[in-house]
Amino acid sequence: MHIISTAALTRRYGRRIAIYQVDLDVPEGSLFGFLGPNGAGKTTTIRILLGLLRASAGKASVLGRDCWREASRIKADLGYLPGDLRLYPWLSGTEALRLFGAIRRRDLLREGRELAERFGLDLTIRVRSMSRGMRQKLGLVLALAHRPRVLILDEPTNSLDPLMQDQLKVHLRTLAQAGHTVFFSSHTLSEVEQLCDRLAILREGRVVLQETLQSLRDRSRRDVAIEWSDPAAAGQVAPAFLRLLQRDARSWACVLAGPVPELLRWAAGQPIEDLCIGRPDLDALFRRYYHEETEAP
Amino acid sequence: MNRGLLAKTTREAWPITLFCGLGLALAEATMAYALLGFEEQISAAWSAFGLFQEIVRTVLGADMREQIGPETIAAIAWVHPLVLALVWAQPMVYCTRVPAGEVDRGTIDVLLGLPVARWQLYLTETVVWLAAGIVILFAAGTGNALGTAAAGGRAVRAARLALVMANLFALYIAVGGLAWLVSALSDRRGRALTVLFGAAVASFLVQYLAQFWSLAARISFLGLLHYYRPLSILQSGAWPARDIAVLLLVGTALWALAGAIFARRDLATV
Repeated sequence: MHIISTAALTRRYGRRIAIYQVDLDVPEGSLFGFLGPNGAGKTTTIRILLGLLRASAGKASVLGRDCWREASRIKADLGYLPGDLRLYPWLSGTEALRLFGAIRRRDLLREGRELAERFGLDLTIRVRSMSRGMRQKLGLVLALAHRPRVLILDEPTNSLDPLMQDQLKVHLRTLAQAGHTVFFSSHTLSEVEQLCDRLAILREGRVVLQETLQSLRDRSRRDVAIEWSDPAAAGQVAPAFLRLLQRDARSWACVLAGPVPELLRWAAGQPIEDLCIGRPDLDALFRRYYHEETEAP
Repeated sequence: MNRGLLAKTTREAWPITLFCGLGLALAEATMAYALLGFEEQISAAWSAFGLFQEIVRTVLGADMREQIGPETIAAIAWVHPLVLALVWAQPMVYCTRVPAGEVDRGTIDVLLGLPVARWQLYLTETVVWLAAGIVILFAAGTGNALGTAAAGGRAVRAARLALVMANLFALYIAVGGLAWLVSALSDRRGRALTVLFGAAVASFLVQYLAQFWSLAARISFLGLLHYYRPLSILQSGAWPARDIAVLLLVGTALWALAGAIFARRDLATV
C-alpha cells in the first residue's frame, strides 16, 4: 500500500511553476528520501501533502485520503516537522506537549519526555529562550510524540549537531522497522544515502528519479583495485564486467561494470594478492541528477 | 470545541483583553466621576462658550441645539476617543492574529500540521473573540457604575445604559468582522493593522467632519461610527434597532466572507 501518493501534481505561483507533474509513491514502512537542491519544490510538495497549499492540478493523498479535503483527518495519524520551524515563544517544552496533546486529544507527556531525554532536551525552557538546535529538537519531539503512522520531516537535521543527527537517524530507522513511514526532504546527499531505502530526486519542480537505493547502488560506479601475485596475469585481457582505467606490471585500477558476485567468482580463479572493491559512488550519480540538464543515466 | 485550541487562543487573547478591559474600566470610571462631579461647571461652560459647544458636539457626533443635560454628560463617557480607541484596538489586535499573525510569525505550519480543520480553528477564534468583547464591555460598564457611585451624581437609567452597551457591542462586532476580513486577505500582520488603523481614522474623521461639512455628512453612512449614537439613546431611551442591525449585519457578513477566504486560501509561512 502506498502511504503517500501523488499523481501529476502541479503547483503554479502566477506564471512560475513550482512543481510540475510530480508523481510519487511512498510505500508503507519505508524511509523515503526526498532530495533536491534549494528551490527545487520540495517544501511546496510537502505543503500540498499537509493541506497548507492547494494544488493547481493533479492529485495528492496521504493514508488514502485527499490532502486538501481531508487534511485534518490525515493529520491525526501524521507527524510533521516544518523546514523553517517556528513555535509559540511563550510555550515551554512541557507546555507544548500538554497543548499539542490537548489538541490531539491524547496524552503526549510520557512519550514526549522519553523522546526529550533521548534527544537531550530540557523541557522546562521556554521556546523564546531556546537555541535553534533546541527548538528543532522540540519540533521533532512534538512530531514524534503521538507515534504517527506517517512522518513528514522537512530537512529535519537542520541545526542539529552530528551526534544528534545520528541519534535521529537511529530513531527513524527504528520507527521504519516498526512499520511507520518516514518521508523526509533533504539536500544533503550523504544523509539520504545513509538513511533511506527509497528516494526521489526533484529538480526544477520535476521528479527526475524515483527508485530504491539498492537499485541505485547496483547502477552506481564502484572502483576496483587488484594487486596481482603473478605479474604475467596483469597482462591478460580484462573481463567484460571490468572497465580498465589503469594497468601496470602488478596492479589494475578499474571500474566495476557488472554485479559483484560475478567479479568474486572470476577473482577466485585468478592469481590475485589483494582485491579492493570500493563503496558504490552514489554521490557522483546524485550530482549528475542534480545538475545535468539532459536526461540522467 | 477542541479544548487545546481553546486553551491556546485564550492564552494569546488575555493580554490584549486585560489591557483593553482595564483601560476601559479606568477610563469610564474616571470620566463618569469627573463629568458628574463637574456637571454644574460643564453646564455653565456650555451656556457661556460657543467653542465648548462645538467641541462637545464634535465629540458626540450629534447636532445638539438643546441645553446640555445629564444624558449629554453621561454620553461623553461613551464616545470619548480613548474609549472608542480601546474598543477598536481589542478586535483589531485580536482578529489579525489568525491567519495574518500566524503566517507572519511562521507558526501557521505547526498549527495546521495538527489535526484541526480550518473552520474549527476559525470558530474557536470567534468564540473567544465574542467572549472577550463581553468581558471588555462588562469592564467598561463596571467602571462607569463605580465612577458614578463615587461621584454621588444622578446616574443615567440602567436600561438606557444597557442599550448603549448593546450598540457598542454591535460596533465591536462590526470592527472585528472588518479585522477578520483584512487578516484573511493578508500574510503580514503589520500591513493588516495599518489598513485597519487607516479605516478607524477615516471613520472617526468622517464622523467628526460630518458636523461641519456637507460632503462628509453625505458619506458618513459609510463609517461604522455613524451607527453608534449613545447620546440619542440616552436622551430618548429608544432601542437603536436600525443601528444595531446594520452593525451586526456588516460584522457578520464580513466575518463570514473572511471565514470563506480563510478556508480556501493557501496558508503557509512566506
